[in-house]
Amino acid sequence: MRPSICTLRYLFRLDETNPAARRGGSRTAPTRWAEPVLNSYTLRASISWLALAVIVVAAAACSATDEVPDLERRAQQINKSVMCPVCPGESIDQSQHPLAVQMRSAVDEKLGEGWSDGQVREFFVERYGPVVLMEPPAEGVHLAAWIVPPLGTILAIAALYVVIRLMARPRSRPAAADEMTGAERDEYVARVEAALEGDGPKGREDAG
Amino acid sequence: MIVDAGGLALPIAMLAAAYGAAGSLLGGWRRVPVLVLSARYGLYTVPILLTLSTAALVYAFVTHDFSVRYVAENSNLAMPAAYTWVAFYAGNAGSLLFIAFVFSIISVVAVRGLASGLKHTAPFSTGLIALVLAFFLGIITFLANPLERLSFTPPDGQGINPLLVHFGMFIHPPMQMAGLISVALPFSIAMGALLAGRGGRDEWVDIGRTWGMISWLILTIGLLLGSWWAYTILGWGGYWAWDPVENSALMPWLAMTAFVHSIMVQKRRGMFRMWNIVLVAVAFTLAEMGMFINRGGPVPSVHSFAQSTMGWLFLAFMGVTLLGSLAAFAWRMDTLRSREVLDSMLSRESAFLAQNVLFLVVAFATLWGTIYPVFTEAAQDVVITVGQPYFDRVNGPLLLVIVLLMGVGPLLPWRRASWRRVLKAIRVPLVVAAATMAVVAVAGVHRPVALVAIGVVALAVAGILHEWARGAKSRHAKGESYPVAFARLLGGNRPRYGGYVVHLAISMLAVGAIGSSFYEVQRDFVMEPGDTETLGGYTFEYLGFGRSEHPDRSEVVARFSASSGGSDLGPMEARRSFYHDFRMSSTRAAIRSTPLEDFYIVPSEFGENGRAVFRVYVNPLVWWMWAAGPLFVLGTLLALSPRRERAAAALRIPQAARLARA
Repeated sequence: MRPSICTLRYLFRLDETNPAARRGGSRTAPTRWAEPVLNSYTLRASISWLALAVIVVAAAACSATDEVPDLERRAQQINKSVMCPVCPGESIDQSQHPLAVQMRSAVDEKLGEGWSDGQVREFFVERYGPVVLMEPPAEGVHLAAWIVPPLGTILAIAALYVVIRLMARPRSRPAAADEMTGAERDEYVARVEAALEGDGPKGREDAG
Repeated sequence: MIVDAGGLALPIAMLAAAYGAAGSLLGGWRRVPVLVLSARYGLYTVPILLTLSTAALVYAFVTHDFSVRYVAENSNLAMPAAYTWVAFYAGNAGSLLFIAFVFSIISVVAVRGLASGLKHTAPFSTGLIALVLAFFLGIITFLANPLERLSFTPPDGQGINPLLVHFGMFIHPPMQMAGLISVALPFSIAMGALLAGRGGRDEWVDIGRTWGMISWLILTIGLLLGSWWAYTILGWGGYWAWDPVENSALMPWLAMTAFVHSIMVQKRRGMFRMWNIVLVAVAFTLAEMGMFINRGGPVPSVHSFAQSTMGWLFLAFMGVTLLGSLAAFAWRMDTLRSREVLDSMLSRESAFLAQNVLFLVVAFATLWGTIYPVFTEAAQDVVITVGQPYFDRVNGPLLLVIVLLMGVGPLLPWRRASWRRVLKAIRVPLVVAAATMAVVAVAGVHRPVALVAIGVVALAVAGILHEWARGAKSRHAKGESYPVAFARLLGGNRPRYGGYVVHLAISMLAVGAIGSSFYEVQRDFVMEPGDTETLGGYTFEYLGFGRSEHPDRSEVVARFSASSGGSDLGPMEARRSFYHDFRMSSTRAAIRSTPLEDFYIVPSEFGENGRAVFRVYVNPLVWWMWAAGPLFVLGTLLALSPRRERAAAALRIPQAARLARA
């Protein structure tokens, strides 16, 4: 059984046959009814957000993953991980080449006979070599393919940290004449803020 | 006649570009204004000459002049005249001419702006632009002349690649090519300033940013249209396959994305001068690599339609760019020092830097995966595939972190923030994100990765909308109506709010990617006419199919009627065409798209008596990806649009006051 929230999807569906939905009215509705009840825009923003979240939910919860038989889903997973040997770059799931079609039915057949996913992949590797897998095996020398990106990420973040630390350290910064002490500065900030009151919304404090 | 004139224009254009390069650089170096001026005017003749060549090639296509080799190879008598546009860039030589033509035009626009705005650096920038142009024209003249004649005239041509016969192909390849070459403009502008020894003056930043963003936008549109084309015509229900050529178009985009962010720090704070030049040099190198991989690169790909043997030339060009940039950088590094320092680890500057690093890391990981097979083949003679699952796994988490940073970064103030202030700023978005995750979890999204991803996107979008709401409300409180308040808010600080619009578009892409990668449903159905099946709440009846013969192809059209939740979706048609000359088939999926999900039917095989195999997908939220396209354009244009008087007046607030506000 699919969750009852699925009924919500029809509320949000925008198709040619539903004139109310075509105007997009239903999506903004939650904000509108919320208005008299809640006058904090924060809450209202949250609520319109929940509305959008519900769309995501409806989509996700209602997606019919459970309609696909288990065996078929496993076959799809395998198909997506095995490359079509004659059409470089395409998996047998994507390709319409006769060989890909043939390999797909081989996958179905083996799974039907009770093979495990690993065994089916191994079967293709034995026939076509490791090139037939869409990703390099995470073992032996090919670990390099997997290790380098995370390693690079860690190194880059470490370098970033060091650079920011170095840049953040004031290098013999001359005590400029316009440098203010803490108290002076606070007082100045207050004055400037007061002067800027008429200039625009507070949200502009970091504008420019 | 006109074909020969066009052919003659090519070497002349090459000489003009070469003169433009030599004259500009020499004149800039020796300070000879007359030489600089004459070189610039020399460059101005290039687009005029190339217009002639382009017109000649179009003329040859339209009149079916098969004595021109390129026309014979890329068109035939059956090709409608409208497809001349596509046939023009369907092969290597024509696509090079296309690139040179487009680049010559935008170069002239950029060079005119440079000459009037940046007197001292313009000669160097112009010289570099002309150098790039001369390189392309040299290849065209000597190695890949699209107007070259055959020694005989074949009765008919070979025809156009059928995969290109699609509306998406009218825009995607030219956009992609124009995007890749246009990276040369911000590169030349920055490098010119560096060569002139004026990189520390930040005067190149405005025009460099403008062209950087234009180039970024063209690349973005090119990538999106390419995905859209893959989704509607390749018939596999997906839009991005991490194919080597896709990757090589993505990498310069990543580097340019880093650049258009980090240049803002230089614009505002006079910092990151060296870093920005490094970034733009990296972006241009990656763009050249993209052209290299597309033209006879070492990695097999479905995109190899412009294959040729001149890949090595692009590789050499790439090497020269890299080494030249390094040398210029080392030579002029001392001019780039900035007196500014980072005030705090926690500031918008640091967030920008972190963003830059993350984008470069994704670019690096993509590069690594793309060239890894070349390494293993060379080193061990073992062929290995690095495909979609690898990139999903390696880049997925990184992209998620980028979206997270996109949500938090813009909320940080310049210069210095305290953790307390940061928490205050992200309190509402955090609550919204948590609430979204809770609702989504209760409703049945249980995969942890999907849940986290949804939360991160919610955080980013809530951050933006919250700030908009706050700003508009604050203006409203001063007596402006909400629409006016909102419009003035966006208009008041265009780089910032334009950036927010683009961030919204990115969030929409993320929503589409999350929905379709975690919750796509796919099934194959064997059906006979009259059969009805259901998938994901959609009921569809297979009505039958019709065959039709065309001069270039035979086509099968399968018809369906579909309904969902009691409402009729109308007739749907899925096509499969077979092109005899190319022995190649192409499919056109039947798609019903709603913001919630796409219902997508692709024909796989047709058998006897109307029996057929269909692959049916329900793809949640993909609609949002295509809807994001216009927002990208809108946001970028907003960010680029010039400031108004009032905003400019704000600049005159004394330095100390700005400091205090920050």
